[in-house]
Amino acid sequence: MARTVEAAKCKACGKLSYPTHFYCAACHGRKFEPVAIEGEGTLLTWTRAYALPLDYVDLFITLGIVEMDMGVRATGRLDIAEPQSGTRVRASLGTVREIGGKEVTGLVFTAV
Amino acid sequence: MREVAIIGAGSTQFGRAQWSLLKMMCEASHDAIADAGIGDRPVDAVVVANMGAARNNRTAGLASALVDRLNLFPAAAETVENGPASGATAVKAGFMAVASGVHDLVLVCGGERMREVNNFEATEFVSYLSHRYAEYPYGVTLPALAGMFARLYMDRYGVTPAHLAMVAIKNHANGVLNPKAHLRVGLTMEGLLTGPDAAMNNPFVAEPLRFFDCCPVSDGASAVLLAPATMAKQFKKTPVRIAGIGQATDLHAVHERPDPTELPAVRLAAEKAFKMAGLKPKDIDVAELHDAFTILEIAESEEVGFFPKGEGHKALERGETQIGGKLPINPSGGLKARGHPVGNTGVSQIVELVLQLRNEAGDYQVPGKPKHGFAVNFGGFGNNVVATVLARGV
Amino acid sequence: MRRALYDWDEGAYLTQEEGRVIDELEAMLRPPALPMAPYPAKSILLASGEVMVVREATVDEVDTLLKIVQPLTWLDRDYYDIVSARVFAELLAWKKYRVRNEYCLVGVIEGVLAGIVNGRMFDQGHGVSYHTLTLKRGLRVGAHLFAAKMEHHIEYLGQDEVWIVAESPIGHRRWMIEYPLDKKFEVQHELGGAPSWVLSRETYFKAKPRLVSGTRPVPAELLARSRPILKPDLSAMLVQIEDTLEARL
Repeated sequence: MARTVEAAKCKACGKLSYPTHFYCAACHGRKFEPVAIEGEGTLLTWTRAYALPLDYVDLFITLGIVEMDMGVRATGRLDIAEPQSGTRVRASLGTVREIGGKEVTGLVFTAV
Repeated sequence: MREVAIIGAGSTQFGRAQWSLLKMMCEASHDAIADAGIGDRPVDAVVVANMGAARNNRTAGLASALVDRLNLFPAAAETVENGPASGATAVKAGFMAVASGVHDLVLVCGGERMREVNNFEATEFVSYLSHRYAEYPYGVTLPALAGMFARLYMDRYGVTPAHLAMVAIKNHANGVLNPKAHLRVGLTMEGLLTGPDAAMNNPFVAEPLRFFDCCPVSDGASAVLLAPATMAKQFKKTPVRIAGIGQATDLHAVHERPDPTELPAVRLAAEKAFKMAGLKPKDIDVAELHDAFTILEIAESEEVGFFPKGEGHKALERGETQIGGKLPINPSGGLKARGHPVGNTGVSQIVELVLQLRNEAGDYQVPGKPKHGFAVNFGGFGNNVVATVLARGV
Repeated sequence: MRRALYDWDEGAYLTQEEGRVIDELEAMLRPPALPMAPYPAKSILLASGEVMVVREATVDEVDTLLKIVQPLTWLDRDYYDIVSARVFAELLAWKKYRVRNEYCLVGVIEGVLAGIVNGRMFDQGHGVSYHTLTLKRGLRVGAHLFAAKMEHHIEYLGQDEVWIVAESPIGHRRWMIEYPLDKKFEVQHELGGAPSWVLSRETYFKAKPRLVSGTRPVPAELLARSRPILKPDLSAMLVQIEDTLEARL
């Protein structure tokens, strides 16, 4: 679990974005510094997805979109049995997929 | 800019192809060219719409291969890959070629043979449309994005699972009337939601979307032949004019959109198309909207201006979007029942509208001699959309 | 007085002694049978609004089933050829008393065959799932019938586990993930010796609310209309992938 999942903070104007774009949407800047996506947020929407690609052996995975307190929204896995839109969640890191035999680390949200 | 007409249209059966990808595309192209009756006139350019030939069918340079098989060399040829919006994007490319005067006769042919790979592979392939770092690694598939979108939409506007089922029931009933549709079995509310075995008939695919809320994986090919409107009058059939065409894009990652229930690319593409056509949504007599998921038919019908935001499901309830209703939507069965050969869909929507405007749609013909048709072809998860307005006559 | 046996190859009646030897051989070739509880029929309301009756087929219906299944043995896609050929053999062997404790469930819509599932009891506690052959596609008939088969093994035949393989790796993967199935690779499945997957009693009951459907009992008139088994229209299915010169584009 080496990396964090990072938003981009524009060095010129401070605007946060996730995912990263080539230019800053606010000031057209091109230099960014990483800001870890961590802490708490509010769950905006979620789904249990059943029809999964071959990498997965789960019956379903739970996914959600979270509005993070630190200022960006993010998509991630939910480690929550009965999710509800509007509830508070906390970001952590976990294995979210296996691509070509390698484990991929990403955002996993748990209930607060 | 010259006026552009569609002088020929053709389509294969949709579903499980018995033919190879190129043979399907040849059959559809032949039908469109024969339908136009251009005789010995050469086709100047071929635009192909396809998303997966390189990965699923081991074919790159698909347009070049099609030109060879049809003996259309040395015509100009290009393949347009724009995800599920490839079809209408190819029509747009053909339209621009004719409108600008660069080419006269342009064949636009879409084709997709998804079922050369299994369902898991097809799901994986389509999931490549999601954002590479922010969505894909999480196992996000297109149904998963649609499921999250549907939940937000339903919570905000009061759309219920029954409304989603109504879309499926309507489109399947239309599919039964369309001999080329992939799925030709009628559905009932009892079987889908209210009956004792509904949970197993109609299990969740990406909550709250169920099995019958998602379109099938289909093979198929369609083609249209475009010509300058001035030339169109010499040919057999009533020409159908491309009155307006518009395209717009949006943020890639769904979560980054300021309001994920909004589909600004749909709205802007439609506005541009209507502006070019000099028409308004109320002028439309028949529409083919991209219902890869039942919720999208409802959402798109609002974004393009047929119904106020949040009212689309009420119009559906009132039966306004049935074949005999005020504004028939997806009389061909839509993606849900007619099928969704991904790269081809945009072209098949245009073919369906041409049939409707020419009064050639047989059992699923919209009554009242429709004059203006409208299509939305939705790429990615709404981040690349093409809208088209068609008008009977030149 | 027992009627004398006729030897069709020789064209003569057998003596009593010869008849006795034949009877002994026949008895040897016939596997001993365990008692098998019947499968109570149920009805399923499909997505289309059609009602499918799921009931046990009887041996006298095998000829009808064979005639329906046989054309599919030439359909070289979706594993129809091998599954149909094996189902044909299994049903025929059942009719001729050459398989021990086989059962066959059919799904019929107003008598028209929609699907067949079959299997047998290996012994009192262990069942072997044979095949699932779906003739009416697009309405989850196969999923309903596979679940009915598991219901039969566990709840009515009273077994502890069912050994399962599938010809189609994709079809197998769906059930493997959906129930889910456990590995029991030390057991070779009799369909070709592949390592078996297993549905245990415990997993079945956990999955039951989610995966097993249907209403019992079936009203008498509906059950009456589920016989005789009628041949479905398979013309849409029997479309082969073209391999003519004109198709090689």
